[in-house]
Amino acid sequence: MNNFAAIFDNSWSNWLSDLGIAGLLLLPAIPLVFIAVYALYAGVYGERKVSAFMQDRIGPNETGKWGLLQTIADILKLIQKEDVIPSAADKLLFVMGPAIVFVGAFAAYAVLPFSPSFIGAHLNVGVYYAVSIVSIEVVGILMCGWGSNNKWSLFGAVRSVAQVVSYEIPAGLAILCGVMMAGTLNMQEIAALQSGINPNTGENNGLGLLNFFIFQSPVAWIAFIIYFISSLAECNRAPFDIPEAESELVAGYFTEYGGMKFAMIFLAEYASMFMVSVIISVLFLGGWCSPLPNIGPAMLNTWTNGPIWGVFWILFKGLFFIFVHMWVRWTLPRLRVDQLMYLCWKVLTPFGMAAVLITAVWEMYVRNPIK
Amino acid sequence: MAEVAEPQRMSVAQLGMTNVLIEQGLDTDHMVLSMGPQHPATHGVLRVELVTDGEIVVKATPYMGYLHRCFEKHAEALEYQMTIPYTDRMDYLSAMNNEWAFCMGVEKLLKIEVPRRVEFMRVIVSELNRISSHLIAITTYGLDIGAFTPFLHAMRDREHILNLLEWLCGARMLYNYIWVGGVSHDFPPKFKERVAEFLKYYKPQAIELHNLLNENEIFIQRTRNIGVLPPEVAINYGCSGPMLRGSGVKWDLRRDDPYSVYPELEFDVVVPDGRTSVIGDCLSRHLVRSGELLESVKIIEQCLDMMPEEPGFDPHAAVPKRVKPPAGETYVRAENPRGEMGYYIIADGKGTKPYRVKARGASFCNLSTLPELAPGNLISDLVAILGSIDIVLGDVDR
Amino acid sequence: MSSYFGTILQSAKTVLGGLGITMRHLKNATNQRDFTNIAEDSNYFKQPDGLVTLQYPSEAIPTPSFSRYRLHNDAADCIACNQCANVCPVQCITIESFKATPDDMAELGLTSDGSKKKLWLEVFDIDMAKCMFCGYCTYPCPTECITMTPVHDFSEFDRSNFLYHFGALTKAKAAEKRAKLAKYEAEEKAKKAAAPAAPKPAAARTPLAAKAAPVKAEGDAAVAEAKTDAPKAEAPATDTPKAAPKLSPMMAARLAAKKGDGAAAPAEAKADVAPEAKADAPQPAATASGGDGGEKPKPKLSPALQARLAAKKAAEGGDGKSE
Repeated sequence: MNNFAAIFDNSWSNWLSDLGIAGLLLLPAIPLVFIAVYALYAGVYGERKVSAFMQDRIGPNETGKWGLLQTIADILKLIQKEDVIPSAADKLLFVMGPAIVFVGAFAAYAVLPFSPSFIGAHLNVGVYYAVSIVSIEVVGILMCGWGSNNKWSLFGAVRSVAQVVSYEIPAGLAILCGVMMAGTLNMQEIAALQSGINPNTGENNGLGLLNFFIFQSPVAWIAFIIYFISSLAECNRAPFDIPEAESELVAGYFTEYGGMKFAMIFLAEYASMFMVSVIISVLFLGGWCSPLPNIGPAMLNTWTNGPIWGVFWILFKGLFFIFVHMWVRWTLPRLRVDQLMYLCWKVLTPFGMAAVLITAVWEMYVRNPIK
Repeated sequence: MAEVAEPQRMSVAQLGMTNVLIEQGLDTDHMVLSMGPQHPATHGVLRVELVTDGEIVVKATPYMGYLHRCFEKHAEALEYQMTIPYTDRMDYLSAMNNEWAFCMGVEKLLKIEVPRRVEFMRVIVSELNRISSHLIAITTYGLDIGAFTPFLHAMRDREHILNLLEWLCGARMLYNYIWVGGVSHDFPPKFKERVAEFLKYYKPQAIELHNLLNENEIFIQRTRNIGVLPPEVAINYGCSGPMLRGSGVKWDLRRDDPYSVYPELEFDVVVPDGRTSVIGDCLSRHLVRSGELLESVKIIEQCLDMMPEEPGFDPHAAVPKRVKPPAGETYVRAENPRGEMGYYIIADGKGTKPYRVKARGASFCNLSTLPELAPGNLISDLVAILGSIDIVLGDVDR
Repeated sequence: MSSYFGTILQSAKTVLGGLGITMRHLKNATNQRDFTNIAEDSNYFKQPDGLVTLQYPSEAIPTPSFSRYRLHNDAADCIACNQCANVCPVQCITIESFKATPDDMAELGLTSDGSKKKLWLEVFDIDMAKCMFCGYCTYPCPTECITMTPVHDFSEFDRSNFLYHFGALTKAKAAEKRAKLAKYEAEEKAKKAAAPAAPKPAAARTPLAAKAAPVKAEGDAAVAEAKTDAPKAEAPATDTPKAAPKLSPMMAARLAAKKGDGAAAPAEAKADVAPEAKADAPQPAATASGGDGGEKPKPKLSPALQARLAAKKAAEGGDGKSE
């Protein structure tokens, strides 16, 4: 049995949950606050600035230095907007839709390992939980689209549901590759197994980056790419943003929304973007482990590992993938619905299955041979 | 294609439900949608009424007229020279070409000839306008397909053209530059050098645009084999310009019914070669416009070389003080970026106002193919087809 | 099968190429373009690649000096000839003027280029909301008092503020001068009635005065036309001898062929469906082998078109129309 106490101990989350009710409330509040701050800055502000620079523009720069207060101004504006519910809309669905979308995205943060010392809920089936809870979003999207009483919204919602549900298959297959290499569904353990520290002996093999699962198997990079593409589709990001195709459907399933409801859906989209970035970092790029190697006397790996360093690394990797999401969005045109489906079922799924098979063989006979 | 039965509406009171109209008599698997006058993809105020079977379009009917501004009526009330700013405003993205066609018509009625230098000036500004118009056409098509970035890169380049033309005649978009018998301003000193510098700057940008947008496999998959317009059908509908050339018909008025100094200029009429696209599909039309960017650059370079330099040249030398053509009628046409812009002018010989001016807009005829091209495609494809027809509502509605 | 993998490979290649282009733009975002007037700056096109946003209004490129934006009329120079009002296509200029009595000529004064003014300019209103910025009013003005200034930024909150008043007279003064004119004309009329036999050389000298209405200043149209810069020649021929246009060889061959054929209507005879080898793109080599794998897809026609073409084919029975 592996003893991971040397690598992660969840000390912060355990301390918080030992505080009783106050601690249990604080525990989810931390990721929630994080989502808010991240979505404001890296999400909306980052997207606007990155897209602006790629398009030879400046982006927001008037509110606050370099436009840093722009998103706060936007949130303030959205808060004070009139809460319009179209008279012909189905009120219950219309109001509940955004809430469910956000809940689906946020609930997955419970199992994201922010640090060796902090994870919301240390589930043994963390990965499985994360993948399945995101499916609740689908219900929310349908509620938004149908409840708007707008044919264009309905189009967007139906497309989105088809897309999200279909892309869970290749996403799941790619995740399966990562999970097979780890041998566990526990998020903290998956990250710990990529730290280079042998759980039994506690010594660091000092390879840093090369311990990450993406380098540990000849097809892990295929699984990585498949998961990345599927994650774009799960978040309705270009080139799979056909549900919100701005030039066709105005805004897809959230056309009729304004004010805080719109902000919630928007927030949910950025929250799920970060969530999939963290999942892909944990599964393939080591999560909160440091990529730096120990080179002789410069024990960079040991020096940059730790609870607080862990937070830095996971955030760094997550935000890097956020940047790649944005980079891809502002470069590529969008795929049509049937092409999207073709990509999912006829390209990603077969490759995903092949990757699963090869990873299984590799694991069994090469990496962790059965003795 | 099933005929859609007339929907029968039952009132709110009859059904006892609040604010919900139920349409009866409609086939349950057909949805009637209005891609209304306000829509991001209709390139202006155009309403397309769609009957769809889920995502597949069964019938598409364009309703136009939201931008009708009675150009032909205005032309009957104004003198010939005073109509020229109104011609600008029809296809407002390629104003120079509209003015030119009109002025050619009036010059034909008056039987006057313009100086050679004026002809070259007209060609240069029209081709510059063609580049700026095609930049918009190409990159707003990218916007429709979902590529946001090429649009901004093209606007950056278009700014240079607009600055050049503002330097020349004082206005950025609606120029009132080409007059009956001449042009309004001579080229300022150093203008030709700046235009040459612009062309040198622009050629790599066109190639970058091509690599970013046209070569992108996703873009190709979105536009290939969509909205195929066979050449006979295109001719029968009166299509012209890139719409016609995209179907493989090698017809360019600058070559086949030449005017001004075009016979002396070397340029190619761009037709698609079917290498990446299917002849007649949206991608072909798009590639025709992309190719024409560099052809226009070629034309301008030749004009800059061939233009006669006359110190003290008066661009108003041949401009008549009073335009009073003898009784007669003429139809004159020019190759606009969107197609054939034609004017049929009837002068009654009794005064300085025309009896009748009919403007033949290229986009109007091109748009009429939409009901034929759309059925059987998805809504996303409809957007792609509409973008490839490249309409400007000012030209459709006049 | 090979097209399947070929498409995947092609997609990957072009996607990475596109990503490279946007990354290059991102890296260039540290440079900002200098904003200069294209007319004055010879380095206009030599700027580095980078951001091109002009932060208006804190940064502004001055518009060229003869840009056609807001109108301005120098009322001191205006002789109220009405040329600008006549030529305006949207009739946004309203002029009201009346004759000045001979003893007021000194008060009227001269224009800045020395021409005499004969009319009081009571009202000269330009409705900038109607103005279409064509510039036609500036050409026939004999004294060049109406000009288009480079001021393009003159938005108002109230539309009535767009009616610009350039008239020089206050209401009181206008009423006073009109009264004076009426009195003068009454006196002149009385004098003429009292001395009918006196020769009227004045009338013969200025035939226009006979048909000039007292209020509108059409009488000075002759003066205006004499002074105008507008070209006098209506004849088309210029002095330079017209050289025969030098046709490019392609064009010459084409015209010769056309002449030989008898110039059939182009739509029927010349519809050339065979695609040309000329590139549809500047870089033909880049996508040479790429996507197809040798199999070209059949053109996918909409059902309406398919039905139509099938019917046509059946009806004509193979009479090729324009292949």
